[in-house]
Amino acid sequence: MANEPLPPFSSSVRLKYVKLGYQYLVNHILTFILIPIIVGISIELARVGPDEILSLLRFLNDLDLIYVMSTLFLVIIVGTVYFMSRPRPVYLVDYACFRPKPNFRVPFSTFLEHARLVPQFDERTVRFQVKILERSGLGEETCLPPANHYIPPTCSMAAARSEAELVIFSAIDELLNKTGMRPKNIDILIVNCSLFSPTPSLSAMIVNKYKLRSNILSFNLSGMGCSAGLISLDLARDLLQAHGNSNALVVSTEIITPNYYLGKERAMLLPNCLFRMGAAAVLLSNCRRERSRAKYRLTHVVRTHKGADDAAYRCVFQEQDSEGLTGINLSKDLMAIAGDALKSNITTMGPLVLPASEQLLFLFSLIARKVFKAKWKPYIPDFRLAFEHFCIHAGGRAVIDELQKNLQLSDQHVEASRMALHRFGNTSSSSLWYELNYIESKGRMKKGDRVWMIGFGSGFKCNSAVWKCLKTIKTPVDGPWSTSIHRYPVDVPAVVKVL
Amino acid sequence: MTVSVETRRSRVTVYAKSTAPSLTPVKPGKTHEFTALDHSMSRHSVHLVCYYRQAPTVTMTALKESLCDVLSYYPAMTGRLVKNEGDGCGEWMVKCNDAGVRMVDARADTTLDEFLATATDEEERQLAYWEDVGSDPYLWSPYCIQFTDFKDGSMAVGISCTHFHADPTCVAVFSRAWSETHRRALVTCPPFFHPWAFYPRKNPVPSSPHLSEKSTIPPPLHPPAMSSVTFAFSASSVRQCLADLQLSNLSPFDALASLLWLRISSYKSASLGTAQLTLAVDCRRRMSAPLPLGFYGNALHFFGVKADLSSGWSHIASELNCHVSGIKEDDVWSSVEWLHERSKEKAFQMYGPELTCLAWDNVPVYNAEFSPGAIPVHVGCRIGNAQGEGLVVIMAGAPGEGEEARTVIVTLPTDLTAQIYRDEAILKYGPKIMFSPNI
Repeated sequence: MANEPLPPFSSSVRLKYVKLGYQYLVNHILTFILIPIIVGISIELARVGPDEILSLLRFLNDLDLIYVMSTLFLVIIVGTVYFMSRPRPVYLVDYACFRPKPNFRVPFSTFLEHARLVPQFDERTVRFQVKILERSGLGEETCLPPANHYIPPTCSMAAARSEAELVIFSAIDELLNKTGMRPKNIDILIVNCSLFSPTPSLSAMIVNKYKLRSNILSFNLSGMGCSAGLISLDLARDLLQAHGNSNALVVSTEIITPNYYLGKERAMLLPNCLFRMGAAAVLLSNCRRERSRAKYRLTHVVRTHKGADDAAYRCVFQEQDSEGLTGINLSKDLMAIAGDALKSNITTMGPLVLPASEQLLFLFSLIARKVFKAKWKPYIPDFRLAFEHFCIHAGGRAVIDELQKNLQLSDQHVEASRMALHRFGNTSSSSLWYELNYIESKGRMKKGDRVWMIGFGSGFKCNSAVWKCLKTIKTPVDGPWSTSIHRYPVDVPAVVKVL
Repeated sequence: MTVSVETRRSRVTVYAKSTAPSLTPVKPGKTHEFTALDHSMSRHSVHLVCYYRQAPTVTMTALKESLCDVLSYYPAMTGRLVKNEGDGCGEWMVKCNDAGVRMVDARADTTLDEFLATATDEEERQLAYWEDVGSDPYLWSPYCIQFTDFKDGSMAVGISCTHFHADPTCVAVFSRAWSETHRRALVTCPPFFHPWAFYPRKNPVPSSPHLSEKSTIPPPLHPPAMSSVTFAFSASSVRQCLADLQLSNLSPFDALASLLWLRISSYKSASLGTAQLTLAVDCRRRMSAPLPLGFYGNALHFFGVKADLSSGWSHIASELNCHVSGIKEDDVWSSVEWLHERSKEKAFQMYGPELTCLAWDNVPVYNAEFSPGAIPVHVGCRIGNAQGEGLVVIMAGAPGEGEEARTVIVTLPTDLTAQIYRDEAILKYGPKIMFSPNI
């Protein structure tokens, strides 16, 4: 605290350099300690002279062979145990996202017109949906499956299956083409789709279409919400630890067709306005030979489940309304619960990824507040030091705004999320992959960059995954953004007038 | 409907309705204004039906995709009607809000050939689904495209639209552009949006005695029920007609229009005298600054032709020839300026209530090839809300039948229709009768 008030500019500059200096000091403390030791030893060696060194070597020669061999074997055994007990690395060879055809797009005016023409919606319901759409952050190019373009939407099981086939097969076809992976070489298959769970499962559908092996380990996760993509990744990672030299195909999607809500309950209308068609297929591997062409390595996955709390459990709840129509009820305190879940998640994530400087500061702040009862605000670690890129689940504009505020991120950090929401809408668990593709398409992904993927889902769950980029991704990137990346980023207004 | 034996149940079933967006989003704030001619036609609708044989690329899904593609060129088609509050005139205009066009899926319980041979007038009407503007014009799509699947895989594409937006030529040019987009070929007649094409001249001379007379006719209290029948004249039949007329430099239109005028009038009243026929002619190419074929909007000129029906067919034919070839550009302009002056008033019926004939045979309609080399097997065109004494539409016939082949669609009060398609004088030339009323 200076005695005379400094002009704000120079005080902030001074503070910035202090912070930088502190970070360099703490994060490279080992270097700072080692350098004087190395200098000391070199000076000592230089002083001692060659004769002393030679006498030391002759002493070593006189030792019994047994002692030398034992020491050598001990070193080898310890080294082997260490290397064998390390977890197998999980590489992301490549991924592909479903590219919706523009003839499935839903302009705002068409959405409004259909809402008015469908007899089940009354005026109040329509106005509410328009209000949501205007403030949603979606653009005019988001796509709905063919069944939703009918008046009224034809939500049959056959239509749902055909949407599943359309999105999943086109993502997997693209992935197999890109990687040259033969379907017979896939050892693990994990599919997550929250709201559509037919029998046989979607994973069986994939096994049937691509003629996968009979001893494939296949899993189908349903009902786990928008963060299920990261749960699938975690499952794949665990399976890849148990099985060596394996390839895992993870497919994340959400099938919209059977879930169009035709009732009047306002809290259940949000998914109609925000959810859009999308899917992503990801190829993971723990084979050493894939290291050379893999794009990313999975370093951490942290899962947080707040379901023990009743409010969190009920905040995204699928139920029947008073007329018997099924819909997903989003409670009003969704944002608060999301913020809470995020705090839990980053408390676990922080020590794994934050540099020592931030952890120390957090520790000091914690000690001061708890032990010395100082009235300081809780210190929010600066995650921008831990990651270069952020992929925040594009659940809606409110979610992205909330996270930007909580983590103190700049607009550029959340640009991928906002633009993916604008171009593709809320594609549920696959949105993280569209955002990652945005960052790559913009040419911002360099070797060594770390990416943080955060997903939120019903339950209430907050899951994170951390990736490290293994090679710089060159533009132009062939992906869902190929035809539109040159138009982005766009300025998304707070309210878009539909009428 | 006439009181008769039990009417056969229709074999056409409509089972789904959806909306097609354009592929590229429309820039917000775009609008399309109507000309005075457009306003005058607002009471009618155009329905064009094209029939195609089975082909691997002509499927409902593929056609819907190429429809979205071609709609990117027609932002006015995907817009909605709003009142122009801007300069206080309160007239209708199109707000290009990117809402898309309505699509209807249907199936027919028969094969294409059987349908063309045995379908009734009612069944053909069902191939071009149409809904009149309801309570809220902002939710109403001015275009409706119906896809009908036949049992043998053939397809009928029915394009319906309000005459406010487009005349039959415009719809035919659109279907051609759509087929070219479907084949991934170059669009030869891209749309030309130019609402100032029919803006009054510097020194307007608004005058149209024919239209002023029409505007004063009160609408009939009980419009009669109308039905239609289609006569497909092959080239040889038309040549025979022309030979029988024994006059040179008459066009197929003159021959057929005069024949029908004569025969219809003879059924209406026993004695024939001087009568008037309203003609509607496309005047895109008749202006000294000709409008391109792709001009989007209405460009039909309505005028009256008087002739003494008792003086024989040849006389009537030559009168028609005289009038049609002698249309002066000044008359067109005067008529447009007259319409412009009264554009704020309610539009009156343009096709009818007196006997009207649409001369549409100079416009090519069989060039919408969705599959390379596969032109439509048949094309039919109807005009909605043409009640009264009747409407005769003379359009080009299937190219396979010859250059002079013509398709004539006659819409008359039901009892007259029953008589006209059994008329000896017409049947003498051996036209193929299609889509007769359900009697």
